[in-house]
Amino acid sequence: MKLSELGPEFKTEVMSHKEAEGLNLCFACGTCTAGCPIHEIFYEYDPRKLAKMVKLGMREEVLASPYIWYCTTCRNCEQRCPQNVKFFDILNVLKNMAAKEGYAPHSWIEQTKQIMKNGIIFSITEELKEKRRALSLPALKYNGERAKKILKLTGIDKVKDQGKA
Amino acid sequence: MPAEKEKRIGVFICHCGKNIAGGLNIRDLVESSKQVKGVSFVAENKFSCSEDGQQDIQKAIHEQKLDRVVVAACSPSLHLMTFQRCGEKAGIEPQFVDLVDIRKWTMHGSPQKTNPEEAFEQSKSLIELAVKRMRLKRLIPMAEIKAEHSILVIGGGVAGLEAGLDLADKGYNVYIVERLPTIGGKMALLYKVFPTNDCAPCILAPKTAYANIHPHITLLTNSEVKSVSGHVGNFNVNILQNPRYVDLDKCTGCGECVEKCPIKVKDEVFSAGLGERKAIYIPYDQSIPKKAVIDAENCLYFQKGVCRLCEKQCPTDAINFDQKANSVEIKVGAIIAATGFDEYDPSPKSEYGYGRYSNVITQFQLARLLDIDGPTNGQLLRPSDGKEPKRIVMIQCVGSRDEKANPYCSNICCMYALKHAQIIKEMVLPKAEIFICFIDMRTVGKGFEEYYRRTRELGVLFIRARPSEIVQNTETKNLSMKVDDPEIGRLLKLDADLVVLSCATVPSSGTQELSQILGVKLDGYGFFKEMHPKLRPVETNVRGIYICGSAQGPKDIPDSIVQAKAAASCADSELRKSKIKIPQSLVRTSQLKKGDK
Ligand SMILES: Cc1cc2nc3c(=O)[nH]c(=O)nc-3n(C[C@H](O)[C@H](O)[C@H](O)COP(=O)(O)OP(=O)(O)OC[C@H]3O[C@@H](n4cnc5c(N)ncnc54)[C@H](O)[C@@H]3O)c2cc1C
Ligand code: SF4
Ligand code: SF4
Repeated sequence: MKLSELGPEFKTEVMSHKEAEGLNLCFACGTCTAGCPIHEIFYEYDPRKLAKMVKLGMREEVLASPYIWYCTTCRNCEQRCPQNVKFFDILNVLKNMAAKEGYAPHSWIEQTKQIMKNGIIFSITEELKEKRRALSLPALKYNGERAKKILKLTGIDKVKDQGKA
Repeated sequence: MPAEKEKRIGVFICHCGKNIAGGLNIRDLVESSKQVKGVSFVAENKFSCSEDGQQDIQKAIHEQKLDRVVVAACSPSLHLMTFQRCGEKAGIEPQFVDLVDIRKWTMHGSPQKTNPEEAFEQSKSLIELAVKRMRLKRLIPMAEIKAEHSILVIGGGVAGLEAGLDLADKGYNVYIVERLPTIGGKMALLYKVFPTNDCAPCILAPKTAYANIHPHITLLTNSEVKSVSGHVGNFNVNILQNPRYVDLDKCTGCGECVEKCPIKVKDEVFSAGLGERKAIYIPYDQSIPKKAVIDAENCLYFQKGVCRLCEKQCPTDAINFDQKANSVEIKVGAIIAATGFDEYDPSPKSEYGYGRYSNVITQFQLARLLDIDGPTNGQLLRPSDGKEPKRIVMIQCVGSRDEKANPYCSNICCMYALKHAQIIKEMVLPKAEIFICFIDMRTVGKGFEEYYRRTRELGVLFIRARPSEIVQNTETKNLSMKVDDPEIGRLLKLDADLVVLSCATVPSSGTQELSQILGVKLDGYGFFKEMHPKLRPVETNVRGIYICGSAQGPKDIPDSIVQAKAAASCADSELRKSKIKIPQSLVRTSQLKKGDK
């Protein structure tokens, strides 16, 4: 990997978002990584490493990484960070950038669509409806209209699907 | 009243090379200063403090017949004295020379640096104010007082002892006030000390023992400073001697009372909560003075009115249940605060479980466990079941370098972790596995890098990462944690029998109150603040009061000793002049007795 082929402006771009300002303060203690439940399963997902990759300007590799979408949003990383680096917020900046550049994963787009349609993340199947009838439970009345309005305001409906791009 | 003669004030604006000249328009500042009421002369200097600069100022004083001077340059704590001396040589009374700091607005790296326009405006108004001050200022008459040839040292740790002994050897009468029943501070409880692994009490003993018999030293243990008034050369100090309930002159330290006392309590201070002591106790074998003391809060007689077994047992009739707190008034010429540090209580870092998991301990506790004269006689046993730990994990920077606790580096923790790892490997449990989880290993000091190397040689393993949390097995009380080792790129699951936290060094409890009593400022972390971090490290904002050792900031023993000697030297420089010049007004205040205002 040649440093001269990487883009230092990537870091500047990320850090231009207020919530990512603390990135430079990371001193690589690894506390975030050790407490990350995703890292435990997918070694490739590593907050400490991601912080360094952004600093070095590894734009492609960071934004195209499928792992940045695996975060459980538990916020363990920033809870335990001794330098007050808000890694969870930095990750959101990265995900927004990735989405804009067409790296949003297919499953994620599908989930969004689902919410816009029904207002909930899982689909209401015939099987589910049948089960509820058998238990004499009222029929589900889901409507995604309100969620759709909100989500549209965020521009999420225009995010390109990586799977089909 | 006859009209006062108009003052002739000279203003000298310094470029400080490009430090000031690079950040604001000096020409404009010269012009605006000329307009200020009372100013008769304005000049600029490239470096006012240089020989040339000072000569220019002196020349202008003579030629322009100036009688007051304002220098606009850098910080008064750095250079006010320089310009006062410079003016004095040209015949101007030092009180009529003022220095204002305009460099802070312009110098690269200064926290107050601002844009040229703002810097100009701020500097302009600082100069205006200083000129006004000088124009209106009357001479404060100075008085010459005779300085007391005595010193108060607060804190009987290694720093306070060193400063006290230095001054006592120079002939000063030294009072050492220690709030515990024994002098010696933390060092007495460390077992061994890096980087030589000398026996700590053995190398401390020459100092404690000498302080005990020194003809010029008075030790006041179990005592606290209650109030201080006066000024350099002449401080009045009120000290409260808490009762020991044991007559110091009669007690021989035989310990017979201790043996008979039926009450056992946890020894929080001298065994770090890992051992027990009696209600009447002698802190440890090398205590100075080696005399018993009754802890009234736990004593049966004081709590329930019964027992007095110790009294019956004592062969010299030393026990005295009627002893009262004693108030002592002393006069001293200078004061040295050497109140040391406390180990940070890591309970707020709840992810590491200190206080909840019995096998998570601090390094100071480990030091007590390793001490052959400590609560376990040097056996390293886990608190939960008294078994020898097979795997020990140490975690560095707990509460240090942490924006959520103490942002600073505590300076000594890398070295004491290495020390304890060495002691365990070499002398206590050679088979134990030791892991040290660290962020940076800081071994700066003579012989320190070699010490790190030696620790690696002994097979201690280092992991450049920290765990996020510790989990305890509720049955076995074993501990486990995950650490991401960046060298091999794997997440390690570490199981440990014992975890030791290398906790931050924080100001000792009571520092805040003492700072109020002394009028000495604290820094942002609560340590005593020095006059200048580089150039005047042991002086304070109060003339005649000095600081040394870990009361000024985290420090090891060698650095504490160096500072102690520096503080002693400062006190000596001030007091060895037979007469001290101070403003007359202060003398009168100090001679008022408490109560009459
Ligand atoms: C676990 C551990 C291991 C260490 N190992 C080493 C080592 O191997 N080598 C090394 O060089 N350094 C070591 N250190 C550091 C060493 O302990 C300090 O450098 C040293 O103790 C500083 O001395 P001091 O006199 O400034 O403070 P202290 O030792 O803290 O002494 C201060 C004294 O002042 C007293 N006091 C406090 N407040 C008041 C008050 N208001 N009134 C009256 N008295 C008061 C205290 O009771 C105490 O006796 C270690 C520290 C720790 C925590
Ligand atoms: S915990 Fe904070 S300082 Fe440590 S590696 Fe993670 S982001 Fe960096
Ligand atoms: S009187 Fe108090 S100190 Fe003395 S033996 Fe009884 S309990 Fe112990």
